[in-house]
Amino acid sequence: MTSLTVTPTRVLHAEWHKLWTIRSTWINLALVPVLTVGTGLAIGASYESGGGDSDVDVVLLTLLGMQFTQIIVGVLGVLTTAGEYSTGLIRSTMTAVPRRLPVLWTKAAVLASITFTVVLATNLLTFPLAQTLLADTDQAASLGDPGIIRALVGNAAGLALLAVTALGIGSLVRSVPGGIGVLTGALLILPEVLRMLPYNVVDDAVRYFPTKALDALTHADPTPGTATPGAALLALALWAVATLTAAALLLKRRDV
Amino acid sequence: MITAHQLTKRYGDRTVVTDLSFTVRPGTVTGFLGPNGSGKSTTLRMILGLDAPTRGHATVGGRAYAAHPAPLHEVGALLEAGSLHPGRTAYHHLTALALTHGIPKSRVGHVLDLTGLTEAAHRRVKGFSLGMGQRLGIAAALLGDPATVVLDEPVNGLDPEGVLWIRTLLKSLAAEGRTVFVSSHLMSETALTAEHLIIIGRGRLLADTTVEDFVRQSGAGTVKVVTPDAPTLVRLLSAPGVHITADTPGTLDVRGTDTEHIGRTAAAHGITLFELTPNAASLEQAFMDLTRDSVEFAATLEGARA
Repeated sequence: MTSLTVTPTRVLHAEWHKLWTIRSTWINLALVPVLTVGTGLAIGASYESGGGDSDVDVVLLTLLGMQFTQIIVGVLGVLTTAGEYSTGLIRSTMTAVPRRLPVLWTKAAVLASITFTVVLATNLLTFPLAQTLLADTDQAASLGDPGIIRALVGNAAGLALLAVTALGIGSLVRSVPGGIGVLTGALLILPEVLRMLPYNVVDDAVRYFPTKALDALTHADPTPGTATPGAALLALALWAVATLTAAALLLKRRDV
Repeated sequence: MITAHQLTKRYGDRTVVTDLSFTVRPGTVTGFLGPNGSGKSTTLRMILGLDAPTRGHATVGGRAYAAHPAPLHEVGALLEAGSLHPGRTAYHHLTALALTHGIPKSRVGHVLDLTGLTEAAHRRVKGFSLGMGQRLGIAAALLGDPATVVLDEPVNGLDPEGVLWIRTLLKSLAAEGRTVFVSSHLMSETALTAEHLIIIGRGRLLADTTVEDFVRQSGAGTVKVVTPDAPTLVRLLSAPGVHITADTPGTLDVRGTDTEHIGRTAAAHGITLFELTPNAASLEQAFMDLTRDSVEFAATLEGARA
């Protein structure tokens, strides 16, 4: 055992291993396609042309199950970091990698890539399946239509960034219930409350909250009054970078 | 080799460790003693870089723990119980740690074997007893084949067989030339394995000494003898420096000689012995006296200030 050293690749292997050796990861990730495909099919089966949903974007309509996915990847993000504090595992982790920050970067990279892959696969499955039921309606579309692929990929990228944001929050809050509370409160509920305020500037800002930006990103045809896909993706990236940076600064300073 | 230089840790107004300096040398077992809440765990956490000292610093093998390229190869640590995810199996917990350093899988099997966990390796840690959890923590500590081993209260939760196993393990690790630093709040248990002692109370150094000196100074080391022929044995053992008290008929407390001498003397004269026990309790008493003084001292100081 002469070549023992901690390297970024080894930390990556370790974090990858850790993620797949607990049940909650498998359960959470299995729920993503199940709920998204299920919701997509239910929508497709019950849709009527000219009804109340006619003005909803076709991608947003078929991917309505992503409402669940937001919560699932958010919880997964919080569990990835805060879960280590709740269980006490963090002491072992930080004794093995006492420089600390490689653990945070690696966790973020592993979670983002897995979320992106699972959600993208789910989206590429859900859209055509739902479309088989929507073929004769005013929501008929195919993967080749303008903006469809961009919206399906954008949605996956947005959810991956949302997962990283949640991971950063989990690292800051260090408690699973606390992290999930902050996540739902600040990211899901707060924008709805702010939208009620009668100020235009608030409306403009709310557009760039993660869930709103994710909605915008999931449009094949950008709607007026929402962020453009590029701006929405940038906003989500900034949320992820900001929380992760704050998490890194505090991780380096605080006692474990 | 572990060195602490004037380690001080403050949490808000509360100073948990004050100006603590000591050196732990390789090749022997060093006991780290203090009552519960005396700052032992905090000191160990500072050595391992989990907590940052308010003042002072600690080094392991000549540099800060975090500065080592392979920390698990430098120091193996048994931290407080439950430093793991209960939903993961013992095997996967150890594998995740091993992967960070490129430690081969065969080593995971080896430490599982060494700690007697091979059969439980693929069970989730959730179902482990306290003792099995301790064994897993020790397996994790040994994973990197470390030059220094730091164990926080390793006998906690272990059954008598496990306690015996720990004693043998600690001694053999030290015999291999490793630095072994073991915290405990039990003097009698520590005296069985350690050669050197670092004793703290209220976060301050009270004694940095050898077990032998501590025992001698404490006046501990009496031997309890139960025999139907007490008067004869008293006469035979009488010698300069030997003090014998007999509080109950047939039971002697002998000070100034050892079990071997008493046993041989009795055998040579055909005296029956029902019991021949080195009295560790008095060692415990000496330890409690030492630490109680520090607590009272501190309490008086606080009273004087108020």
